[in-house]
Amino acid sequence: MRKLDIRLLRMIKASKGQFISIAVVIILALTIYISFSMTFDNLNNTIDSYYDITNYGDVFVEVVRIPKAAIDQLYTIEGISMAQGRVMVDVPLKVENPNEKVRVRVVSIPKEEKPINKLFTIEGREVKKQIKATAMLRQFAEARGIGIGDKITPYIAGREYPLDVIGIVGSPEYIYLMENEQSILPAPEKFGVIYVGEDFAQSVFGYQGSYNQIMIKVDDESLYKIDTIIDEIEDQLDRYGVERIIKRDDQLSHKMMMEELDSLDKMSTAVPVLFLIVAGVIINIMLSRTVKNDRMAIGVMKALGYNNIQILQHYIKYSLSIGLIGSIFSIVFSIMLSRVFTNVYMQYMNIPIMRTEVYFIYIIYGVIFTSIFCILSGLMGARNVLRILPADSMRPEAPKIGKRVFLERIKPIWSKLTFSWKIVIRNIMRNKRRALFLIIGIALTYSITMVPIFMSYVFSDLFAIHYGEFQTMDFNIDFSKPMNNNGIKELSKVIDIEHIEPKLEFPFELNRGWRKKVVSVIGLNTNTEVYNFTSPQDESFTLSQEGIVLSEGLADSLKIKIGDEIILKNFLPNKEDTKIQVTGITQQYLGLNAYMNIEAMGKIIGEKGMITGALVNSSDDVTAKLNNVANINNIQSVEDMKNSFLEFMDMIIYSVGLLMLFGGILGFAIVYNVTIISISERLMEFSSLRVLGFDKNEIYKMITRENGLLTLLGIIIGIPVAYGMCYGIATAFDTDIFSIPVNITPISYIITAIATIIFVTVAQLATIRRIYKLNFIDALKSRIS
Amino acid sequence: MANNSLMKVENISKIYQMGEVEVTAAKNINLELYQGEFVVILGPSGSGKSTLLNIIGGMDLPTEGRVFLKEEEITKYNDKRLTNYRREKIGFVFQFYNLMANLTARENVELATEICKDALDIDEIMKAVGLEDRKDHFPAQMSGGEQQRVAIARAVAKNPLILLCDEPTGALDFETGIKILSLLKKINKELNKTVVIITHNMPIGDMADRVIKMRSGELVEIKENKNPIPPERIEW
Repeated sequence: MRKLDIRLLRMIKASKGQFISIAVVIILALTIYISFSMTFDNLNNTIDSYYDITNYGDVFVEVVRIPKAAIDQLYTIEGISMAQGRVMVDVPLKVENPNEKVRVRVVSIPKEEKPINKLFTIEGREVKKQIKATAMLRQFAEARGIGIGDKITPYIAGREYPLDVIGIVGSPEYIYLMENEQSILPAPEKFGVIYVGEDFAQSVFGYQGSYNQIMIKVDDESLYKIDTIIDEIEDQLDRYGVERIIKRDDQLSHKMMMEELDSLDKMSTAVPVLFLIVAGVIINIMLSRTVKNDRMAIGVMKALGYNNIQILQHYIKYSLSIGLIGSIFSIVFSIMLSRVFTNVYMQYMNIPIMRTEVYFIYIIYGVIFTSIFCILSGLMGARNVLRILPADSMRPEAPKIGKRVFLERIKPIWSKLTFSWKIVIRNIMRNKRRALFLIIGIALTYSITMVPIFMSYVFSDLFAIHYGEFQTMDFNIDFSKPMNNNGIKELSKVIDIEHIEPKLEFPFELNRGWRKKVVSVIGLNTNTEVYNFTSPQDESFTLSQEGIVLSEGLADSLKIKIGDEIILKNFLPNKEDTKIQVTGITQQYLGLNAYMNIEAMGKIIGEKGMITGALVNSSDDVTAKLNNVANINNIQSVEDMKNSFLEFMDMIIYSVGLLMLFGGILGFAIVYNVTIISISERLMEFSSLRVLGFDKNEIYKMITRENGLLTLLGIIIGIPVAYGMCYGIATAFDTDIFSIPVNITPISYIITAIATIIFVTVAQLATIRRIYKLNFIDALKSRIS
Repeated sequence: MANNSLMKVENISKIYQMGEVEVTAAKNINLELYQGEFVVILGPSGSGKSTLLNIIGGMDLPTEGRVFLKEEEITKYNDKRLTNYRREKIGFVFQFYNLMANLTARENVELATEICKDALDIDEIMKAVGLEDRKDHFPAQMSGGEQQRVAIARAVAKNPLILLCDEPTGALDFETGIKILSLLKKINKELNKTVVIITHNMPIGDMADRVIKMRSGELVEIKENKNPIPPERIEW
């Protein structure tokens, strides 16, 4: 081995703490990059092949009723390769606990040879001609502990229909199981899907020879013009009462997964780049210090006849070996982790098949990119090698110019400082670049730590505001079919009610130019007591008699402001589209909705006095009392929402912890390295202080004060950076389901500051050994390089 | 000796710019070095002797004047050729040894030899400097004299044309210093290497074939020693 390489190895050994801490940052960066990218590809491939196997549809149309012949007519539309009908109805399920409300979606299995949305049988048999048999979606079966051979009993039109569970299945449209857009979180024990034979479904739901949903496959070559095809479908089916047309991109489960994948994709590059930059800056500072300390050794090398390139290589090999060693660990970790991550996602996403592969391309990209990065930062750090003249390097370096720092000119402050504080401040000011890096590093640590804390607070806020301030009803009751005001009266008879008001909820397509969005429009009394509308400027307002109020997220996505006119597109048969003015925009963090006066909305639908549900405040046992009441489709209680939220919180606590750990590692690496560098750069200075009679603790205290002061500055600068980062995250998370408000509570700032101080302190303690080991006599005497 | 000319220094001057002041470190120096001679350059500190040595060794360039190695003008060399010149032709010994702290004695020598073409056998050199038992020690485990012997071994093992020693005994006690001088003399005699020592220590001049005296950057006297005394008889 070349002697310079031996020197390199010993150099690494002597600075192993720094070497390891930088390597850990690189390992983190590269592991996140490789494993997230691989997970992303694995998931994408798994989903693709699952869709392929199960023949997942491209367009789904919900209609009032459509005969088979009309579905076959759809083949006349160019680009449609398959169209199949099915019956799909949500009904209550009989369960032991009368207070528990569980609903199942009964779906018929098409008879066609090659069904669209074919079920993937995980266990048991397929449902074919059997009448009293059903196949159950796995998530629901698992959540409720139902297995093959068990009996379940849905209520259909007031009657009990016991069914044998003969199969446990997966379905491409319920990879992510949610009842509808209004459910914020999956609750697989409260809502499930069961599949039955077509004849059975048609007979019990009264759809003989007809369906209420159409599944459509579009040719791959025609997918680009899917919107035109959808328009044609809508025209052709108009008389069958089209309620909704959902294309795959808008299908709930698919959309949720794509959003998940999208954020995975973003994370897989953003986090690594940030970490690599930090590693690069540490390498840069560290190597420039090493080169400075090695000045004489470099002079000797040059005197011996080593050229600049050879010497530069020697130092760059240091940073490159950090990169390469980091790469080796990262590759091992990523291959393991991408399996684990893919597995976790699979569990969460409920795909019964799995495609995991090792994508070497990401390893290659990652290693090449990291190596280039390390070489460049090494080059930047070691570039001073070129400036060292062999003859000069033999002479001791001229002392750094000592001059008065800015603060000294402010006499009233400066004169009050003690001697050691003066040294501290002079040191900081003299090494501005390093001080700046430390401040930026701490600011970064602060903001990275802030993100998870912000997230955990914001989610609890989100729910508290949505269910405590925006909506104040205890129960949200949906009827199974539209009724008139008598429904309210009857409800009042069954349960003790403090407050009740009607609601009318229908899906509409909101059009504004070429932008459109299908949302639930909710009709309310103008003087509603259970919805509190607040403008983005925090002023509360009420519904107007005419006109429509949009949630903020909806208004943003359609680019609408107050006073604009929009077109309400109706899915009911033979109803004209309506123009309506937007009279208000309200803050709403969960879901996208529009609100109208209930009478005005009834007019649009053409059914005066119609209601689809009720909003109730009551301390009565509403769920239990209404359980056996006919015509009630769904009761959503705020209590249930809270519970499912708690479960959701458990899940995010892990990711919060992980992010905190990342922030901690980054903070540690920065503070540890900068402190070590600052100690070794000033060995002579400390030694002189020791000779003057300072003890080790006093010297250590000086460094601690320096770091403490810079930490304080770092945290102050970190506050706006953290705000920006949270803002960015909130925007990235903004979806149809969440709109995240960026209000960081004061307590979050404090918790983050404490966490940051802990990270800094740990790093600081790790460097204490250096000071205690300092042999000041040697340091003063020897100039051995 | 005149026909044995190895190096020729013609009219060199060196002016340093130190902040706003100009410092003349060497002024119009003319000098010839011959193959196989032992030269001592004497002068107080600041007399320009290190500057002269650095220029001869290709570590520094003169502000004016020319330096020749045989027929070649090294002051015309670019950086690459200058590096090569240091690599193949010159051996340096420094006052503070300047060994690599994290390489052993032997590795320090190898560091120099692995980049030159006709390096000498390292084990023989280690033996010649009397360090065959200490070759796996690190500099910090060796005395100053031992470290300086490693430094000499490092310079000699390259098999250079000329050995340039900058105050080689400056950091050593008297007895160790004498041993180092004997070693240098031995290398001069047995390997027929030209050795140039700079020192402010007058008595060392007695062992040289020629003594060159410098003061304030100028060469003030060149004295030939008809009968140089062996280093063991030097006293200071």
